[in-house]
Amino acid sequence: MSNKETIPFDLLKTNCAETPQIPEEIKRKLSLWEKLYNVPALRKITLLVFLAFAWQLYAAYLDNALMVPTLTDTARGFFEAVKSAELPLRTLTSLRVICIGYSGGVLLAGLLTVFAITTKPGTDLLEIFTAMFNPLPAIALLPLALLWFGLGYPSIIFVIIHAVTWPVALNIYAGFMGVSTTLRMVGKNYELAGFRFVFKILIPAAFPHILTGLKIGWAFSWRTLIAAELVFGVSSGSGGLGWFIYEKKNQLDINFVFAGLLTVIIIGVFIEGMVFKSIEERTVVKWGMKF
Amino acid sequence: MAGTNAPYRPFLEVRNLTLQYKTARYLITATDDVSFDVAESDRLILLGPSGCGKSTILKAVGGFLKPAGGSITLGGSGIKKPGADRAIVFQEFDQLLPWKTALENIVFAIRQTRGAGKAEAEEEAKVLLKKVNLSSFAHTYPHALSGGMKQRVAIARCLALKSKIILMDEPFASLDALTRQKMQEELLELWADTKITLVFVTHSIDEAITLGTRIIVLSPHPGKVVCEFPVDWSQINSKNHPEYAGLKERITRILFRDMDFVI
Repeated sequence: MSNKETIPFDLLKTNCAETPQIPEEIKRKLSLWEKLYNVPALRKITLLVFLAFAWQLYAAYLDNALMVPTLTDTARGFFEAVKSAELPLRTLTSLRVICIGYSGGVLLAGLLTVFAITTKPGTDLLEIFTAMFNPLPAIALLPLALLWFGLGYPSIIFVIIHAVTWPVALNIYAGFMGVSTTLRMVGKNYELAGFRFVFKILIPAAFPHILTGLKIGWAFSWRTLIAAELVFGVSSGSGGLGWFIYEKKNQLDINFVFAGLLTVIIIGVFIEGMVFKSIEERTVVKWGMKF
Repeated sequence: MAGTNAPYRPFLEVRNLTLQYKTARYLITATDDVSFDVAESDRLILLGPSGCGKSTILKAVGGFLKPAGGSITLGGSGIKKPGADRAIVFQEFDQLLPWKTALENIVFAIRQTRGAGKAEAEEEAKVLLKKVNLSSFAHTYPHALSGGMKQRVAIARCLALKSKIILMDEPFASLDALTRQKMQEELLELWADTKITLVFVTHSIDEAITLGTRIIVLSPHPGKVVCEFPVDWSQINSKNHPEYAGLKERITRILFRDMDFVI
């Protein structure tokens, strides 16, 4: 505008650099190598391949199938056990047990937390219970469980419920407590109360914490299940994955032991990396609530 | 106003309101003996420095706080608990439900408070989003909206309640200056459209004069009504108008007189 015209031309010129320095690389396409290196999955797969090679080489060098079977032996054992339907059946048994134990634990945790947020004694009770039982490894209760429920799956379900309930309850409770005052007031402003308030405001608002609790609970229960099955496998006909591992060790089929361990890992990774991940993508990531 | 001979009754009546709250060691009196009226279609501004209890008054009108003394009546009946007849816009950006899109937030408000059907609520929500110029962000989640957009959705959500009064607790305080000015203009347009009764809390004198039909100035520690100014917009229709500067000068002087012993 008019201001511009009043500035002498010379003055404008003197403030400018004579020849502006332009960096040579402003923007260029990444090379194929750089692009591939930026894919985390690819980097991890490469590492896994290296580790597999190292395993194979070490096992071949050791040449002692009783200590460390080779990767190829393990793979052969795995496919044999899958073909004979033994491994799938054992896996199915384990999964069925964990389903019952896990849902039981989550349900109990939910009830305890609802009780805790609605009443003062409930809060105190939850705090006492979680403080006492959260540090207690579930597997330590197995001897007692065997005494109470006998040699059978009820005992294992009992210890799984113990493994799940406390971390899940702790996280749900922390989630409920962390719901912002503003969101609570919005809920009250809409005259939501009781269960409607819990389901329409508290649970979704606390969902990131709830999901974390469910994930931790799953990891605890899976470990507890396998460990419990190792200790306990008298009614071997219907044993789970843990029992499969124990049994194969006794028969000195060490490549089957490795195959069993691999199955435990694969299922763990699948549930965490696929099931929970996809729940996360559909909820907290989409809502921008992931912490 | 039912009969022709019935005495004039204001829509919202705040009488001798004393509000107190407890901290771990003290009982603090936030406001002391505050009285004011709001007529229908008023745009009442509660103006004051921090600590004058203006937000606390709004929370009490919202029903979130029980008065230690005095009374609040809306349309003739006393306020006992929170309710959808008083829509509230908060200052905080996290007032939208983060798990619902802009449109779903409004639909939720309509369906929870008025029990409308889904299709009907969605139609209405779309109209409201258009009113706040956010039609193209209907399916965006709050975390992807800017601060100004979030506050616009919050305002649309309040209009959705079809309540008779809207309580606004410094809704533009966290916005940048340019957005804030734009939002003030938009709010005035919405008001011209709906003529809804508004109680607006702010600590900005400019915002108070721009938005209000009446300004109540409060003093801090504890909050007391210092004085009340009507804003006559037929006189002051521009910030360059001498009346505007005069009013601003007067309010500033009153506020700073009270601030002297605080700072």
